[in-house]
Amino acid sequence: MKHRKTLFLLIFFVFMVVPLALVTYKLTVLNYKMSDLIPATSYHVEINMTVDGHGDDIEIKTYLPKSDMRQKITEETHVSNNFEFDVRSDGLNRLATWRGVAVQGKQSIRYSFDVQAQAVRFLIPDDLRVPQSYPENLNIYLQSEEGVPVYDPLINEAIDQVLPSRDLPILDMLTRIHRYLQDELKNKNFSGYTDAITAYKLGEASCNGKGRLFVAMARNLNMPARSVSGLIMRSGDKRVSHQWVEVYINGYWVPFDTINDHFAELPANFLTLYYGDKVLFHHSSNVNFKYMFSMSKKLVAKASLRENLDDSILNIANVYQAFEDVGVSQNLLKIILMIPIGALVTVIFRNVIGLETFGTFLPALIASAARDTGLLWGSIGFVLVIVLTALIRRSMDWLQLLHSPKMAILLTVVVMIILGATVVSTNLGLNQLAHLSLFPIAILAITAERFSIFEAEHGLLKAFKVTVATLVVVTAAYTVMESQFLQSMFLAFPELLFVLIALNLWLGRWIGMRVTEFFRFRKLIWKEAKS
Amino acid sequence: MGFAWLNQTKRFFAASTQVLSMNQRNLEYIYPNNARSDFPIADNKLLTKKVLAKVGVSVPETYVSYSSFFEMRNMAQDLEAYDAFVIKPAQGRGGGGIVVMGSKHENGWKTLGGTFYSLADIKKHIADIIFGVYSFGLSDHAIIEAKIEQYEALNQLSPFGLTDVRMILCKHQPVLAMLRVPTKESDGKANLHQGALGVGIDIKTGSATYATHYGEAIEHHPDTQVSLQGFSLPFWQNIVQMSIKTAESVPLKYLGVDLVVSKDKPLVLEVNVRPGIEIQNANMIGMRKILKAQAARVK
Repeated sequence: MKHRKTLFLLIFFVFMVVPLALVTYKLTVLNYKMSDLIPATSYHVEINMTVDGHGDDIEIKTYLPKSDMRQKITEETHVSNNFEFDVRSDGLNRLATWRGVAVQGKQSIRYSFDVQAQAVRFLIPDDLRVPQSYPENLNIYLQSEEGVPVYDPLINEAIDQVLPSRDLPILDMLTRIHRYLQDELKNKNFSGYTDAITAYKLGEASCNGKGRLFVAMARNLNMPARSVSGLIMRSGDKRVSHQWVEVYINGYWVPFDTINDHFAELPANFLTLYYGDKVLFHHSSNVNFKYMFSMSKKLVAKASLRENLDDSILNIANVYQAFEDVGVSQNLLKIILMIPIGALVTVIFRNVIGLETFGTFLPALIASAARDTGLLWGSIGFVLVIVLTALIRRSMDWLQLLHSPKMAILLTVVVMIILGATVVSTNLGLNQLAHLSLFPIAILAITAERFSIFEAEHGLLKAFKVTVATLVVVTAAYTVMESQFLQSMFLAFPELLFVLIALNLWLGRWIGMRVTEFFRFRKLIWKEAKS
Repeated sequence: MGFAWLNQTKRFFAASTQVLSMNQRNLEYIYPNNARSDFPIADNKLLTKKVLAKVGVSVPETYVSYSSFFEMRNMAQDLEAYDAFVIKPAQGRGGGGIVVMGSKHENGWKTLGGTFYSLADIKKHIADIIFGVYSFGLSDHAIIEAKIEQYEALNQLSPFGLTDVRMILCKHQPVLAMLRVPTKESDGKANLHQGALGVGIDIKTGSATYATHYGEAIEHHPDTQVSLQGFSLPFWQNIVQMSIKTAESVPLKYLGVDLVVSKDKPLVLEVNVRPGIEIQNANMIGMRKILKAQAARVK
């Protein structure tokens, strides 16, 4: 017995210390850089557009993003059946045009691409001053235009109000203007058009009004400025685009966003679509034009990681390249690597908190499958599959089937429900629910059988409680498994899996009371406490 | 105000060590005392009965048992002689899969609840048992055994089914005992999680000390309003001796023994390697306290 304890401590120590030492070694001696290890975030963006044709010609125009120093656009694909598609350069921008002749009925157009963008930040020297003159091609960025009356008295008034003097360094002036627009001018959630003067007079504006006022003030102070339109990329669907501005300083176009308080910086999830004060979509009238941006996030290895490391077998990037060569993506590896973490979360909920769940690891598997559906739809899908399958199992009672064939039928039912949900949800436009197919089908069939027996033996209320508890654990596992930090760490240092084993070893020897047991035995404990 | 609540909390956590938790039961009592290879003696009721019958502990009479379809070919003749019997999975848990036939009718039997089972229905149920529906997918044996007539005086206390005694023993010493009384809600089953009542029993005297329903204190049977206080169990010394003998005759050192009192004597129904910890609520006593005291006495 004594030996077991020593041996246990030894194994625990080895599993805990060796991987951590290896991580430290890689970070200090080998060329692993934390910044390289964190995989780059890439977004898949879809622009979905629909029109209703009534036999007339239809034209739709929009701007498509371009690759530049900050953002890389790849995998551009385009689907539209009855439209002629054309992209051409329009000044700094890429203008896409879809033309349809005598379009009848509902038509859809989809344009999709992958974006890998970087965050940027500029440091403006504190003593840098506005130059006397600029190259000629920048003149247009100093002139008035529609909605941006640069030399309007009210713009001068705004400048006098914000700046103590016009003879200040660039950094000082822009800081004051930025703070004024960010802090003094109220954010207004309004998607319509606001010109610079209206924004100033009302003291509130949405992104385009603030942008125009910024541009007007900067140009007035002889700093070339332009508005930029784009998307703030986040997983999900949205229709709202965003506007920010760029000021030409010392040879660079420096970004400012006075809605989200980005001063001379831009986060990595900002996608630039086009420059200039223009409208995102142009379309023929009376076609019931609708659009939606659908975005999803994925991780890709940074190219710099592989380049920085040598051919050492400790170079995990080479290992992942080997996987990628046989068609296993880093995304899939990440899912696999996160499952043990989900399992650990489940163990904590079962053994430390004391929640009763369906299946030991079902919550972890559901959570990993829910990555593609999102947590909400994943949970809905899970409950849907379990309850429907349990109902069907119940309705087969009178048939009195033998166990194994009955289970095979339930498995088939689960497959049918998943396929059905996919078809129905695609038709309803609920794209997330269409990803249910990644659910662990066999485990769901077994869970449905358990649910059904459980419900018969313990009643609907108890079955409902355990279902809720299972969903709580799914939520917790999902949250932990979606952690970018943990994903990056385990992708970069898979040896950390041993640390998970160590933690489970420790939990496996933990004899403390579960949280729910304190509640279950509370009266007894109080009685013992008094005696 | 002061720090009264802090002291209370401290005392609460200190007192909680008197209670045996699930993790501690597994790690400090079940695993060290029961070798995994000995679990089948408790998990398989056929094996348990065999071992107990050999040392002279009374068990319900086994009429016949089935482990394959082939053995079921003569089922009609096998069952013909019996008006009443119980079908049980040898490796079931929590009373799942147990069907009690109360009376014989033309072409079949009726359960106590009045459900009719034709010979084909019984065959199907036994097939389910054999295929492991009630034993987590493992193949199993179906046991057909004598239906036990409850001790007359207990019928008033437990009119909805057979009440049983759960005795937990550690190293052959009784630790805690309780009487499990079925209710309408528990569907005649003596399973606390399905709504049966747990009545704490004093091991020295066999008298009722405390009673709970879903962990809440009660004084009367919720269906009949019969008092759950002030009675003693018949044959109590006999029950204690049989439990100890059972514990001594199996290689398990921490176990639960389930007994019933039939018309004329107590019978051991089964042995449980993972006896639940709810028995502490039924007795309003922390089991860890008793286990520690017993371990100290042995030393």
